[in-house]
Amino acid sequence: MPRQAYDQALAIAPDALRAPWTRRARDAVLLILALAALVGMAIDLELAPGALMAGFSKLGRFLGEMVPPSTGGQSVRILKALAETFAMAFAGTVIAAVAALPLGVIGAKTVVSNAALHFAFRRFLDIFRGVPALVWALILVSAFGLGPFAGVVALALADIPNLAKLFSEALENSDPKPIEGVRSAGASPLAVMRFGLAPQFAPVATSQTLFFLEGNFRNAGVLGIVGAGGIGFELDERIRIFAFDEVAFIILLYMIAVAGLDTLSRALRNRLA
Amino acid sequence: MTSAVEVFERDRRRMLARQRTQAAVGLAVFTVLLLVSFQRSQFFGSDIGGDPLGRMADFLQRMNPGLKPELLLEDRQTRGSLHAWFYALPIWLRAAWQTVEMAILATALGSILALGASFLTAQNLMPFAPVRFVVRRILEAIRTLPDLIMALILVAAFGVGPLAGVLTLTISTLGGLGKLFAEINEEIDPRQLEALQAAGAGPLKKIRYGVMPQVLPNYASYALIRLEGNLAGAAALGIVGAGGIGLELQRAITYTEFDTYLAILLIIIAMIFLIDLFSEAVRHRLIGLEKA
Repeated sequence: MPRQAYDQALAIAPDALRAPWTRRARDAVLLILALAALVGMAIDLELAPGALMAGFSKLGRFLGEMVPPSTGGQSVRILKALAETFAMAFAGTVIAAVAALPLGVIGAKTVVSNAALHFAFRRFLDIFRGVPALVWALILVSAFGLGPFAGVVALALADIPNLAKLFSEALENSDPKPIEGVRSAGASPLAVMRFGLAPQFAPVATSQTLFFLEGNFRNAGVLGIVGAGGIGFELDERIRIFAFDEVAFIILLYMIAVAGLDTLSRALRNRLA
Repeated sequence: MTSAVEVFERDRRRMLARQRTQAAVGLAVFTVLLLVSFQRSQFFGSDIGGDPLGRMADFLQRMNPGLKPELLLEDRQTRGSLHAWFYALPIWLRAAWQTVEMAILATALGSILALGASFLTAQNLMPFAPVRFVVRRILEAIRTLPDLIMALILVAAFGVGPLAGVLTLTISTLGGLGKLFAEINEEIDPRQLEALQAAGAGPLKKIRYGVMPQVLPNYASYALIRLEGNLAGAAALGIVGAGGIGLELQRAITYTEFDTYLAILLIIIAMIFLIDLFSEAVRHRLIGLEKA
């Protein structure tokens, strides 16, 4: 009888099969407190079940209107916006990579060996690493006017601290032996960089930059919402007038484009690795 | 009659030539893409004038709150005091706290949903292949759709406010964590499952006693990392009307108060920084517990 065996085992070693009641009570109290905190937050945010239900029925109607997707006779305009979105992502990524390179060099422990300086610089980058591109875009559009220029700068600003950090890590992880080898052959500092460091650093850095290009193509699609051009602008406009068949078309097109770029970039990255 | 050296030299020349052609083609493609991109995105010479660097400098100038060292602690009416710069601090802190609440709620709800989804997609726990396939495709679709596009549609459906934001982040957390959790599930030690199976445990008992103890620390660690991301996401979602501190950013821009924008941005940065510290501390404890 399993039950009998269980009772016997419990009699021999009471703590082996079951946590002591003090611990179980503590776990239960913690769980209840956590749930209470979550419910409290939901109440504080005024998340009403009624609004949730009404919203879902509205959402159901929107989804119904999405089938079948339609271009609304504006396929050329939409494709142009898609091209503009890619252009923003590409230009933003290249600018970010170029700007992050010197910052990455400064941030590498192997270049700036002073611990305090290194720490201060890394923290400085950390401060800006969390700021999303959209937050930059909002203010840049206000400063530079509507259009993709603000989008490019926003993407670049959001990427620079992140890429700089990755670049400095790539530099720190590069093997010093080839560099010493080239140097001991009497090469100039420039030649040491070209033949000792670059072959190690460039593939890693390129691969990371490609990864950021993928992310930026996703981010660039939404910057238009705050007026930074591209596909997001077209989407926002159509959601405002509840033209959900056209919204569905743009989203599908965009998701296919995103998947296409991801595949291409992954293939390139695999060749680099 | 060709010697080995000649063969080597010929192959090497061919290889170098191929590498050079590849590099040249790559460079050409890159240059064309870059030029087209700059042209399409109107980077230089857009109708608001060229000189991007000059405009950047002007923009930074407008964000400067004009603090005066001798007036820092004066009251709100004095230009140049901290109080005048952060004039609506209580409102902003309240909005920032709402953003934190949105992120925490969405991370919790999303993790619970992801937990369910992960059991449906893990090869070793869900024997029925079509279910795995369908749930995986759904999670993939969620991951491809940018959060903000989802937020736009949900704001249209659920109205302006935190509800749309929490739902957006919950769904995107489900997409991201569902995949990660499933990967954790697939890497568990099968012997404990087999032992439970041998003892006659049902599927739920197997998950509770065979899977959970192995995966919970990893789950918690991923969920906390996700919390950090969701916080930045929640701040951005506010801009499209999904509640929280982003709404205040939007407001500052509507009134073209660039120095106010900087003040709120600093609050967001501090908020993200604090949550990062918290999450890192908890994660290190979790890893420590795992080792103990």
